[in-house]
Amino acid sequence: MITRIHGAVCIDGIGKSEIRDLVLNGESICSLPKDSRADAEYRLDGHIVVSGGIDIHTHIGGGKVNIARLLLPEMVDHKRSNSERSGKESNWIAPLSSPVPATWETGRRYLEMGYTACFEPAVLPANARQSHAEMADTPWLDTGGYLLLGNDRLLLEWIRDGVPQQQINDYVGWMLRAHQCCAVKVVNAGGIDAFKFNQRHLSVDDQHSYFSITPRQILCTLSQAVESLGLAHPLHVHCSNLGLAGNIAATMATIDAVEGRRLHLTHAQFHCYAADGPHGYSSAAHRLADRVNSDASLSIDVGQVQFGQTVTLSGDTMHQYANRNLARPRKAIFQDLECQAGCGVLPFRYRQDQYVHGLLWTIGIELFLRVEDPLRVFLTTDHPNGAPFTSYPHLIRLLMNYDFRMSVFSRLHPDVQKSSPLPSLKREYSLEEIIKMTRLGPARALGLKNRGSLIDGSLADVVVYERSENPEQMFSRPRMVFRRGKLVYRDGVFLDDAMKSTVVANVQVDSQMDDLLNRIWRSRYGYSTEMIVVRSDELRSKNRTIEW
Amino acid sequence: MICSFCSLLCDADDLNEIQCDRRTASLVQFETLRSIKAGLPQLEKQVDAELIIVAIESLRAANRILVTGRIASVATARAAVAFAAKYNATIDCAESGHVFKNVLAIQRSGLNSVSLAEARDHSDLFIVVGDDSMLAACPRMPAALSGGKPNLQTVLLLGDFSAAAAELWKSVGFDAWSVPCDVRTVPSALAQWSRSSDQSPSHRSSEMRPTKQLFERMAQAEYTTIVWSAENLRIEHADLWVERMLQWIAGRNETLRCAALPWSTLDGTFQQVCTWLTGFPGRVAFRDGIPQYDPHGHSYEQWIARTPIGMSRESIVVLIDETASSTPFLNLVSMQASGKCKIIELTGNSKCFPTAVAGVEVIADIFRADQTVLARVSPSHKLVPSIKSAAEWLEGLSQ
Ligand SMILES: [Zn+2]
Repeated sequence: MITRIHGAVCIDGIGKSEIRDLVLNGESICSLPKDSRADAEYRLDGHIVVSGGIDIHTHIGGGKVNIARLLLPEMVDHKRSNSERSGKESNWIAPLSSPVPATWETGRRYLEMGYTACFEPAVLPANARQSHAEMADTPWLDTGGYLLLGNDRLLLEWIRDGVPQQQINDYVGWMLRAHQCCAVKVVNAGGIDAFKFNQRHLSVDDQHSYFSITPRQILCTLSQAVESLGLAHPLHVHCSNLGLAGNIAATMATIDAVEGRRLHLTHAQFHCYAADGPHGYSSAAHRLADRVNSDASLSIDVGQVQFGQTVTLSGDTMHQYANRNLARPRKAIFQDLECQAGCGVLPFRYRQDQYVHGLLWTIGIELFLRVEDPLRVFLTTDHPNGAPFTSYPHLIRLLMNYDFRMSVFSRLHPDVQKSSPLPSLKREYSLEEIIKMTRLGPARALGLKNRGSLIDGSLADVVVYERSENPEQMFSRPRMVFRRGKLVYRDGVFLDDAMKSTVVANVQVDSQMDDLLNRIWRSRYGYSTEMIVVRSDELRSKNRTIEW
Repeated sequence: MICSFCSLLCDADDLNEIQCDRRTASLVQFETLRSIKAGLPQLEKQVDAELIIVAIESLRAANRILVTGRIASVATARAAVAFAAKYNATIDCAESGHVFKNVLAIQRSGLNSVSLAEARDHSDLFIVVGDDSMLAACPRMPAALSGGKPNLQTVLLLGDFSAAAAELWKSVGFDAWSVPCDVRTVPSALAQWSRSSDQSPSHRSSEMRPTKQLFERMAQAEYTTIVWSAENLRIEHADLWVERMLQWIAGRNETLRCAALPWSTLDGTFQQVCTWLTGFPGRVAFRDGIPQYDPHGHSYEQWIARTPIGMSRESIVVLIDETASSTPFLNLVSMQASGKCKIIELTGNSKCFPTAVAGVEVIADIFRADQTVLARVSPSHKLVPSIKSAAEWLEGLSQ
C-alpha cells in the first residue's frame, strides 16, 4: 500500500517545515519518484503532517491504575463524556468518562489526539504481566513499560552488602528481560521500602533505618547499571520528597547522586519547590531549569497540573500516605507490595482559587518556558496525577499563547499572582517546538530511532491536523491518523487498527542469574521465578509484536 | 488443579496435583446456579458447527442475557466481557457475593493492604480472623505466610479456631496464639484494645480477652497483617464488618504499620479483568455497549429474581465454568421462571459446549489470592486434545 499526501506542511523538527509530498510506503515513510503511482492520494492544503505523538510518562496499565478504577466507580460518567463530544464544540476534546478510564477508552482518546505510542512508567516487577495485559487491551497504541526498581529489598540488601556492581548490572538486566520492560524507573529511592519500616521521611542523604543505606547510594548504583547495560533511556527518576516545600534541594542532590550520568527527572513540577514566601511554599523552577539548560545529560517531563477532579496514583506510598487527609472524596488506597515497592491511590481536586494548587500550575508552566531545548522537556501531566491526558491540547495552547496563559493566570489566588514570575516569561512556543517536545524529543529520549520524525525509513505513524488559529482546537482532533501506513482514523471515525507493538529493551542476560534469582525467589517469596517471568511469546499475537 | 486461592502458594511442579476442597465446597454455596446446572442435559463431547449457529440465533432473539459462572482465567474473562458488551448482557460472576463484601467496603472507605510475599518477609504479627474452614480451604496458608524465621513471627487466631489450627501455624515456625471469640465482635474488640492499649487488659469487657503477654506482643508489633477470607465470613452485612476492619487498620497506621491481606476468591481474576475493560469490578449491565455499574442491582441473583414468570427464549443465562471442581462447561440456558418463588426451569433450547479446564488443559493467566501477581499456569498434560477453551467458545459465539 502506497499513500501520498500532498499540499500539507510537513513538520518534524529535523528537516525544514515546508509543503512537500509525504509518501507512506507499506509500514514506513519513504520518498518515491514524483510520478510513481500511489494507491491512495490525499490533497491536504491548509493542513500539517507530523509523526504520531509519543507520551513518555502516562499511567495507563498495571496494578495501581486498576486499583484506582476499583476505588472510584462513582467518577465514571459516560453521559458527560459523550454529550460533550456530540455537542456544539464537537471539534474540541471532551473529558474522559473517568480520570482512570477503561483501557478501550484510553486507547481511543489518545488516538483521537494524534498519539500513537504511550509508555507506562511504573511497572511493579511482580505485576508486570498484568501491566502488559492491560496495555495489550489498550487499542491503537504501541506501548512500553519502565520497571520499578530501587525499593526492591534484594537490591537494597546487595547495596548494603557491597556486592560487585557487575552483579547488580546483571540483576537489573535480568529483571528488565524477565518483565519485558524498556527502561528503569526509581520512585523515591529507598523511601517506599523505608515506609514499610515505618519511616515517614527519607531525603537523599538520610539513612534507611533498617538497611543503613541512602537514596544517594541507590541512585548512583542504578544509574551505573543503566549505563553499563547500554539502555537507551537514562534512569527515569521520581525524586525524594515528592510535593514537599523546599524539595528542590533533594532534586538537586538527586542530580548530583548520579555523578554526571544521563538522568531523566519525571513530573519535575512536583519536585521543584522552595519554602519561601508568606505561605512557606514557592517556586524553584528557575533553579531546576538553569541546571537542565546547562547540563545536556539531563531531561525532564513536567507533570503539569490542570484544575479539576482527578486521582493521584503513585508508587510513592510514603508521600501519598502523608497526603491522605487531602483526598477528595475522602478515601484512599495504600499498598505494600511484594518486597519490591508500593502504591498509593488518592482522589484529588486541584482548585484554581487555592494558593498551593495555583502555584503548582504556574511552576509547571514556568518549567516549560524556562527549559530552552524542547528536545529535553516533555509534555506530560503525569496522567492522571496532574490532570487527565485529554488536557494536552489546552496545555499546548497555554504554551503557544501568552495572552491566553495570562487570562488563566489572572484567575489564580492573589498571592500566586503577586509572587509568580510568570507574567515576565513572554516566550510562546512555536508549532515546531510543540511537535519536537511531543514527538522527536521523547523518541530520542527512549532510543526509538524509527519514530518521532518524518525522515525516510521512519515508521509510517503519521498524523494530519487541520491548521487553526487555535492550537487547542487543532490538537484536539486530527483529520487523519495513519499507523504503519494504514489509515486508522479519519474525521472522528475509527477504522481498522494496525499492528500494536511492545517496546522492550534488548539487553543480554547472564544465565547464571536464573539459578541465583530462582533460589532467592523461592526462599523469600515462596514461589519460583517461572511464575512471574513474562515470555516474549506472551507479547506476540496476530495483531501484536515486540519491538526491540 | 488450579486455583486463585492457592496458586503460587504451591510449588510449580505440583500445582496441578493438589486437591483443593475449597473449590468443590464453594460450588455448594451457589444453590441457584447449582439448580440450573443439575437440570442440564449430559455434555456433548462433539459440538457441531450447526449448534453454534443455532446458539447465536437464540442469543440474538433473546432480550435478556446474563453471563455468569466460574471464570478463572484472564482469557475467558476478556472473552466474557466482550461477549456481554456485544449482546448488551448483564455480567456477574458466581462468587461475586464474596468479592463484593470487600469491594463495597473498599469503595466506601479505601484500603491499606499488603501483598503476600511482603507480609511473609516483613510482618511480625499476623491477626487471622475466621474459623477452621479457612484453613480447610487453604491448608497451605500458614506455610505461605511463614517467612522461615522461627518464633520471630506471631500469629493471633481470632474466631472459632481449633487447637489443631494453632498447631498447624506452630509447625511452620509461628508463635501461635488463639483467642476464641465471635468473629462479628472482632472490629469492636480491636478498636477497644487500641483505645485501652495503655491500660491493663483485664479491665476490658469484650469477648476477645488476650492475656497480658499477648497484649504486649500486639502492642509491640511493628508491622501487623490482618488476614481474612471473604468466602469464610459467614456473617450478615459482611461489607460493614470489612469496612470497620479497614478503618481500624487505617487508624493503626497513624503511628505504626498495619495492613490487610484480604484473601480473594476464585473470582479475583474476573474482577481485575472486568475492572480494566469496563472500569468496574463486575455487576455490570451493558446498554448500547456502554457498561452500567450497579453493585446491588446487577448481581446475578437480582437478575434471576427479575426474570419474568413464564417467559422462555427471551431470557438466557450463559453459564461458564472452566474450573476443575466439576466437568467444565459453557452453557446457554434458556430460562423459564415459574411460580411465586421464581423456580428456574430449563427449556429444551439449552445448549452445552464442553470446555477445557483453565490451567490444566489450556494455558491460563490467573491472579494470586492477594491480586498482586498474575501467574501464567501452563498445563502439565492435555487431557482432551481437541477441546476448546471457554474463551474460544465465547469468541465463536460473539461472531
Ligand atoms: Zn507518574
